Amino acid sequence: MSQKQRLLYLSSQSTDPKSPAISQALHEPLKGTIVEIDPTKKGIDYESVHDAICDGWRVVHFPDQRGSLEGSEVEIYGYQFILEKMEEYVD
Amino acid sequence: MINVFGKEQMLSDTNHLLSDDQIADFVINGYHIVAPQFQSDFHERVYQELNDLPTNPGDEINKAVPKIDDVYEHPAVHGALTSLLGSDYKRAAHRHCHKNHPGTRSQTWHQDSLNIPTLADGHGRVSDHVQSVLAMYYPQAVTEKMGPTALIPGSHLFTASTDRNASNGNFRDQVVAVVPAGSVLILHYDIWHAGTANTSDQVRYMVKYLFERANESAEPSWNHDPAKDRHIFERLEQDEAAAMQRSLVSKRNYRRTTMWNNIAGKAALKYEYRDKWSGDWPKPNL
Repeated sequence: MSQKQRLLYLSSQSTDPKSPAISQALHEPLKGTIVEIDPTKKGIDYESVHDAICDGWRVVHFPDQRGSLEGSEVEIYGYQFILEKMEEYVD
Repeated sequence: MINVFGKEQMLSDTNHLLSDDQIADFVINGYHIVAPQFQSDFHERVYQELNDLPTNPGDEINKAVPKIDDVYEHPAVHGALTSLLGSDYKRAAHRHCHKNHPGTRSQTWHQDSLNIPTLADGHGRVSDHVQSVLAMYYPQAVTEKMGPTALIPGSHLFTASTDRNASNGNFRDQVVAVVPAGSVLILHYDIWHAGTANTSDQVRYMVKYLFERANESAEPSWNHDPAKDRHIFERLEQDEAAAMQRSLVSKRNYRRTTMWNNIAGKAALKYEYRDKWSGDWPKPNL
């Protein structure tokens, strides 16, 4: 058994952790797993970053509040938070 | 009579042209689905012919399986394309048959490449116009396990950074094209989309054609009713597509109206100030 890092990328409508989440990607710490769009899944797992924190996730990256993308020609949907959860895995 | 792809055809029955609300739906969401009617075994035969191809014919897919041209020349498809691109729209030389085997992995979210030499005018991203569309034909029914095309409604109004979007998986408001056999999914060229994983035991085919506008619109090429202008203007300002940050909403709404006006020609919506706030006071939170 060893502790491994699960990563959850959540993009929110604003930098407020309680604002609605609009996308997610879960990276599991297992070789061979990949992150894919899942067409069988309705919606996403958490309503907001705060909702994920209440479920034990810990924020390890906050979206950059210094630079605004307003006026940019290239857009990215949402403000991305990266969260982690350390869990025991069988090697 | 008009000349479509070298064949004389009757102009579309007006019933096959889109309505103002259908055009607004396309401007807001970036896609429209057509279900052309054929004999019951038509799509099954197309599927079989695709399955029998020993190699990928690339742009020549229409020569390898000529029935596919019948789909894109069907009055229902022609009517939708006429509505979006004008009656003199052109078919681009680039075509592709996507063969999605069981076990195929998901693509990442992307806008299709602009590096296609066969696009006639070589335009860049056009977030406020309908210059090109992708038309995806599915000869078999597509279930959610057969790698349906996923798309983000409204994303055609923005230029994406594919690299920076690579960390996105599922979007809350994504749409997946779970469709009956024979459906044609017409997409704004710039919509963010992805083929998803095929976890079924069936091959899923999708044939993609590109169509382009030849000329700027002098007037609407759809069934337009000027009496609906106020209703349409309000929809373009208020309808939600996929959730996004508030800072993009003004840009989104402006581009919607500009896109409508660019394809409406002389029937462009007039920007007029109107008081949106008068009326009932907000109700108290009880």
